[in-house]
Amino acid sequence: MENLDDLIDFKTGRQKRLIYSDAEIYDQEMEKIFGRSWLFLAHECQLEKPGDFIRTYMGEDEVLVVRQKDNGLKAFLNTCTHRGNRLCKADHGNSKSFVCNYHGWSFSYNGELTGVPLEEAAYQNNLDKSKFGMIEVAQIASYKGLIFATFDEKAPSLEEYLGDMKWYLDVWLDAMPEGTELIGTAMKVELPVNWKLAVENVSGDGYHLGWAHAGAMTVTAESDIAGLSVGNSDVDNESAISVAGMNGHTVLAALDGKSGYAFYNEYQMAWDYLDQNRATAVERLGEIRGEKMWGSQINFTVFPNLQFLPGLNWFRIYHPKGPGKFEMWTWAMVDKRMSDDLKEMILNNVSRTFGPAGMFDNDDGDNLQAATEQSRGWRTSQMDIYTNMAMGNEHSREGMPGVISEGLVCEQNQRYVYRRWLEMMKADSWSDIPFYNNLEEARATEDK
Amino acid sequence: MTLKAAKDEVYLDLQRHLFKEARMLSAERYDEWLSEILSDDIYYRMDMPQRRFREDKSAVRAPAKTPIFNDDFASLKVRVGRYKTGFVWAENPMNASRHMVSNVEVFETDEQDQFKVYSVVEFHRSRLNSERKRFTVGREDRWVKSENGYQLLERLMTLDDSVVLDSNMNFFL
Repeated sequence: MENLDDLIDFKTGRQKRLIYSDAEIYDQEMEKIFGRSWLFLAHECQLEKPGDFIRTYMGEDEVLVVRQKDNGLKAFLNTCTHRGNRLCKADHGNSKSFVCNYHGWSFSYNGELTGVPLEEAAYQNNLDKSKFGMIEVAQIASYKGLIFATFDEKAPSLEEYLGDMKWYLDVWLDAMPEGTELIGTAMKVELPVNWKLAVENVSGDGYHLGWAHAGAMTVTAESDIAGLSVGNSDVDNESAISVAGMNGHTVLAALDGKSGYAFYNEYQMAWDYLDQNRATAVERLGEIRGEKMWGSQINFTVFPNLQFLPGLNWFRIYHPKGPGKFEMWTWAMVDKRMSDDLKEMILNNVSRTFGPAGMFDNDDGDNLQAATEQSRGWRTSQMDIYTNMAMGNEHSREGMPGVISEGLVCEQNQRYVYRRWLEMMKADSWSDIPFYNNLEEARATEDK
Repeated sequence: MTLKAAKDEVYLDLQRHLFKEARMLSAERYDEWLSEILSDDIYYRMDMPQRRFREDKSAVRAPAKTPIFNDDFASLKVRVGRYKTGFVWAENPMNASRHMVSNVEVFETDEQDQFKVYSVVEFHRSRLNSERKRFTVGREDRWVKSENGYQLLERLMTLDDSVVLDSNMNFFL
């Protein structure tokens, strides 16, 4: 294993390309990051009734998230405790039991092993079924509709894990009293890309928008997002912020209160919705979040692999499948109180912009794939790359958590994502992982 | 519902149109596709497939179908417009594409001069260095015969993959 400190340098914004291609580093990520973090599983709205289930992943482990009889939630490894076969092959649905296709062991939706064929004739009734139930995750919890779980029983609470990021997440999750929902089913795409390259892109890379997406922006942009322009010819960095330094979680936000809908061709319907509900948002969130952030284009990253963008309204999880591959699942997300017409318009716009045939998403794949492949050579894997834009601009702002730099075009957030990556990779246990939610704490915990 | 097969002459005419359209799309002659093939009232749709148990009865509460394409003439024109900007870097150099159309069936409908056309498309793309991508879809079309000849009024496509295995869908099927 490489010396971990040689892989990332927070101070200079350096990453060694090996982290995008090396199998050993990837295996460590599965253990130290995906094996210990709180990982997003599903939205509460997707599991309405007892027996409703979703099949998803935590790292490379398949899990079933199941709504229980008492309305609680459980998450199990999707594997038979007898000979290891996959238990459930459907993406989602409703079932009161999961029956293994191999020998017919059957498990109740609460995880108990309830049926074993030939239990008397072949096992002579010697099988203690209570010891062979489905294996549960260590902890499961929800934050305002979003369900997370961790494999680590020693992980801090979800609230502590999210830290002050909750203040920002509430701009979307708590602006309206009825909360949010995901609509449609997951749009799934497999990409030959290292998962970190996709996460860093959405966490902080406003720089690529005007260039990588120049074609899509030319034909869809009905209005301005923080002064970003096609061809990267100009930018107004005063009207947006990059926020990081919150336990690895990041925010990229315009502050105009309406640019989230800039890539909609019928944005008036969305702007009317914002006007009609602005007072409610301000009442619930206060001036800064209610006036300036709600309705703005915002990128949220919950470390390590959940990202969602209010305004463009897509919600995405990345499931790694080896150092050079991941599956990404994208949904449309809406406020429950939105009209059916507005929800439909949003679903369509998500498909047109960030679905598998989305005009923006279709610009990113090849760039990220090539960056992955160009980290695989004998020579390129030893090379460094940098996120060193706007170094030294970090500051605090009154009334806002986190470490802040001006603008969407700024690489501060990526530096903090990689800092968290290194902190988790180096730590033997959660007690060795620092917590910080503002500039002072971030500086105090910085590795010297 | 019993479907009445269209007359051979209609069948041959429409098959000719499908093949011509396939050649047009493989060559990315999208302006001609918009003006010569599509009706101004075109509805063009492909949904994201899901894997569900056959016996699953929770369909009522299941989420609505999620479209990959859900387009009318105006939004298809926007998609074509994106390719014409010259800024879609993924398509330069041009990728090699082949649309193979088969299993063509043509039926009459209740509307005079409208025909229901089933077909299957196997789409191959040769991309980048050694990448060969393949998509298969079933198509259910509605074509209308007007004074300008046959035009495509509606195309409903079923994609077979529940996970899209290419980094973009910069094409039409």
